[in-house]
Formats: sequence, structure tokens, C-alpha cells
Amino acid sequence: MSTFLISVGIGLATAGILALSAVAFTLEYAVSRVANFAHGELLTIGAYAAYSGQRLFHQNVGAAALIAAAAGLVAGLAMNAGLIEQFRGRSATTVFIATLGASLVLQNLIEMIYGAANVSYSFSQGGLHHVGPFLWTTSNIEVIISALAVAGLIYLLLQRTRFGKAIRAVSQDRTLAQVSGIPARQVVMGTWALAGAIAGFAGFILADTIGTFGPGLGFSFLLLTITATVAGGIGRPYATLGGALLVGLVIQIAGTYTSSAYQLVWAFALLVLLMLFRPNGLFVQRGATAVRA
Amino acid sequence: MYWVSVVTEAAIFAILALGLDMVWGWAGDFDLAFYGYLALGSYMTMVLTIGKPIPPVSYIIGWRLPYPLALLLAVAAVIALAAVIGAIALRNLREIYFAVTTLSAVSALYLFVENYTPLFDGYNGVYGLINPGQTALNLTYNGYRIVFLGVVLVLLALVYLTVQRLSASPFGRMLRSVREDEHAAAAYGRGVFSAKYRAYLFGAALAGLAGGLFAVFISAFNPSAWTPQELLVIYAAILVGGRGNPFGVVAGVFAVYIGFIEVTRFLPSPAARPEFGPALRQVLIGLLIILVLKFRPEGLFRERLSRDRSPQ
Repeated sequence: MSTFLISVGIGLATAGILALSAVAFTLEYAVSRVANFAHGELLTIGAYAAYSGQRLFHQNVGAAALIAAAAGLVAGLAMNAGLIEQFRGRSATTVFIATLGASLVLQNLIEMIYGAANVSYSFSQGGLHHVGPFLWTTSNIEVIISALAVAGLIYLLLQRTRFGKAIRAVSQDRTLAQVSGIPARQVVMGTWALAGAIAGFAGFILADTIGTFGPGLGFSFLLLTITATVAGGIGRPYATLGGALLVGLVIQIAGTYTSSAYQLVWAFALLVLLMLFRPNGLFVQRGATAVRA
Repeated sequence: MYWVSVVTEAAIFAILALGLDMVWGWAGDFDLAFYGYLALGSYMTMVLTIGKPIPPVSYIIGWRLPYPLALLLAVAAVIALAAVIGAIALRNLREIYFAVTTLSAVSALYLFVENYTPLFDGYNGVYGLINPGQTALNLTYNGYRIVFLGVVLVLLALVYLTVQRLSASPFGRMLRSVREDEHAAAAYGRGVFSAKYRAYLFGAALAGLAGGLFAVFISAFNPSAWTPQELLVIYAAILVGGRGNPFGVVAGVFAVYIGFIEVTRFLPSPAARPEFGPALRQVLIGLLIILVLKFRPEGLFRERLSRDRSPQ
């Protein structure tokens, strides 16, 4: 059993959580053209909702996950209606600063409700399993399977449904979609609900994987999410999934060989390099529609 | 003495805000690395003045330079760091790409400082810069604090006058033209990168100066003193006062620090929940940012733009 393969295995679990968070972030960007800095708080809300819910449904991981997704969905809808739509038509930086303000508000509201001290779930992580060359806990496996499942569902949704087609149209050009008879406002709302639900669920599995978490859970995961999104290609769901896989593996492997304290330093160094050389993303063709603001 | 300390803090942050406003207000770059420059200014001033570390404490350099000289060297170190980050981030990244790049640069720096103890003693930070020059000036503790406030206010006035002059100078106008339309400015022969870069280095130098003064003000510095959230208060102050207007920026800092933070200090904070009050204050600052952006994005004092004075 090599250290390298173990870290690849853990990297895949990290990449799974990252993929969910980053896909939600990229969907928000696709329809609203906003780098949502309050995205991390959607994860935190999901994690804390599941924490409150576990008192009602003892030891039921499925129920906790559903509660997290539902809370994220509501928060996503509220964020779109209460913040993003209010700033429609303003410059990208203005909306971005507004989301920074919203992040500060939400993070501290959660702290006021739940306190600053870390909390944890009482779900068991399950035993260790050898799967092929990898060594995973039961919850690692659940994370990877659910990430794959969500990725598959998003693919089906975007490619095979009218709603998915409408999302793609709105993300290309909202006004043009509107005049073509697509109810753009509802599509944007639906996308935020979807992104919120994914983010809430991601928050729950992130909190469960880390073990203990506080009000800063989502915010500290935000830069990693952005790194993964930018690595793939912001506003492009499939490219984002690729970016999450890459970033998850890079930080886990680099962290194993240096020190886990420097994991995030590697991620940020990667982000700066990407910004310098491929700001449109690794998995986006050169010359494709520029998303540079 | 309470008010002396409040005004000193506000004046130090006004210097930082004037620097930040050159970058954001004039040149239009939303930077999130700025608190890192304040932090480096503080750390460098500390390690240049407090002497050799006593194990288990560890940090670099450990000289005993006179404070003004240490302050100058600290500012130089900050400019060097800003020269690297600015060269990477300003070359062709704009708006959110610039913001994200500067934020990841400062976050990497933060994690590195926190974990790599030989640099600035990691999480514990450095301390021991207590009233430099107090014995030489033969002052009491309180007297020193008042003199220090005077020094900070004089420096703020000097910085303000310099920035005010720059604001109305061809350089200030060029930066604003670059902000409004980079391509048009470039077409008229303005060096976009060099203009933004110079503004960035100047702004960072002011942040470093504020950091060096802050080191004396709190006499200790560790990673909990420079979380990314701290910078948002400065942005809120610039927004309230009036982005791009030096007078507005200073007024905004004093309004937000004194009017807002000091008033909210008296918010209820139950003994069992000591984090309640500070968290509520952060909520209010976040709301303030959103509401000002929504309803009065130009702030209390509008940016003064130069008018076309050529004969009609």
C-alpha cells in the first residue's frame, strides 16, 4: 500500500466535495454573472441545518443530507431574490462587494445563533475499506458516490431537459433568452435553488468529513472552491468538475509530501499560476467566448 | 485616555484607507491583499526593534534599530512584497480576477506566517514593542500615548495633503481615465500597467506605514489581528465616506470607527455568549456595505472630477 495511492484516494474524496461546491458556484456565475462570495455561507447553512436536524432524526444520515439540501435551496432562493437581483445591471465588482458584505452578515448571524465554538455530528465514519488500491472510510465512499451521482444528474438535467436547455440559453445571453420566450427570471431563480441545494448538501458532507466545524466552515472552503472553478473554467459546469478533480488531487498529494498545514498554500499558488497563464480555465478552448470580465 | 486610543486607531486606519482608495477609488482595482501589507509592516517594525528572540519564541532578524529607521525599512519591505503581487495581479487581471488573485496571494501568505514559526513565531506572533522612545523623551505612559496620537495625526495630515495633491495632479487624472476606460486611455498613449502599478506601490507603502504605527499602538502582532474580514471594515468606511475623494475617505474612516464601532460597543453581549456583540457588529457592517452600495454608491462626499476648462 503506497502513500501515493492513499493520498490519491483521499484526494478523490476531497475532489468529490469540491466538485459539488464548485458546480454550484459555477451555476450561480453562469446565470447571474456574479462571483458569489457568499457562496461559502450556503455550505455553512446546509451544515448547520443538518446539525439542528440530527436532533429530530437520530443518526439518520439520509434525513440530515436532505435537510441540508433543503436549507441550501431556500437560502439560494433568498440570496438571489434579496441580493443578486437587487444589484442587476451594476458592475461586476459592485455585485462582488455586495456578496462580500452578505457573507459577513450571514457568517456572523450563524455565529450569533449557534455560537462561535465548533460543533460536530454524531454520525459514525464507518470502518476502513480497501477498494482496489485505495483505502477509504465508509463516509469517504458515500461522498465519492454521491458526488458522482450529482454530477450525473446535472449532466442529464443540462443536456436532456427543457429547464437545462433554458439554463444554458440564459447563461449565454439573458436578454436574448428572454426575447426568445424563455422566462429568464424563473430560470435564474430555479438555477439558484438548484445551486443552493447542491451547496447545502456539499456543506453537510464537508462538515461530516472534517468532523468538527464552526461558522467559518464555508468561508474557509470558498477559495478552494474558486480555485477549482477557475482551474476548470468559470461558468462551465463540466469544465468545473474537471477543475475540482485536479485541485482535489493536487492539494492532497502535495500536502502528503510536504505538510498538511501547507495544503491550502499549494492551492492558492496553483490559483495564482492559473490566473497568470490560463485565466479562462484549463478545460476551455483558447479563443472560446471570453468570460474575463 | 479611552478617546485618545480610539482616535489614534481611527487615524492609523485613515492612512491605510487613503492608500487603499488610490488603488480602488482611483485606479478601480478591488484589492483584497491590503491587510497583508499592514500586517507585514507591523511584523517588520516589530522584528527590527525588539531584539533577539528568546527561545522558544522564534522570529527572523531580531535587531534593535531605532523606531523611525525600522519604520522606513518596514515600508520598504512592504513595497517589495507589493511589487511582486502587483506585478502578477495587475498585468492583465481585472475586476473579480484581480480580487481573487490578491485574496489568494494574501491567504497563502497568512497560512505561511501562521504555520512557519521561524518567520514571525507562527500563531503566537511577535510582541514587546512597548512605547519606543518613552524613556528618551522622559514621558509618562499616558503622556506618551498623547504624544503618539500627535505624531499619528501629523503623519495623517502629511499623507492627506500628499494624496490630495496627487489626486488633482496629471497622475491622479490619468489613473481615473484608466479606471473609466482602459482601452481609451491606452489609445491616448497612457501606460495602463505602469500607472496602476505605481498607484499600487504607493498605496501599499501607506498600508505599510499604517502597519508600522499599528505595531506601536497594540505593541504585539499575531495572525488573529489580520483576518481577511478586517479589510471589509476599511472598504465599508471608504464606501460611506466617498470612494475616490480623499476628504470623504478620512471622514468615512472616522465616521465608521468612532460613530459606528464605538456605538455598537455597547450592544448587549450576554455573559454566557461573549461572541454575540462582536458578531452583531460584523452583521451591521455587512449590512452597511450592502445598503450603501445599493442606495448611495457614491458615498457621503462625491468624488471630485476635473472639469474641461478649455475655451468653448
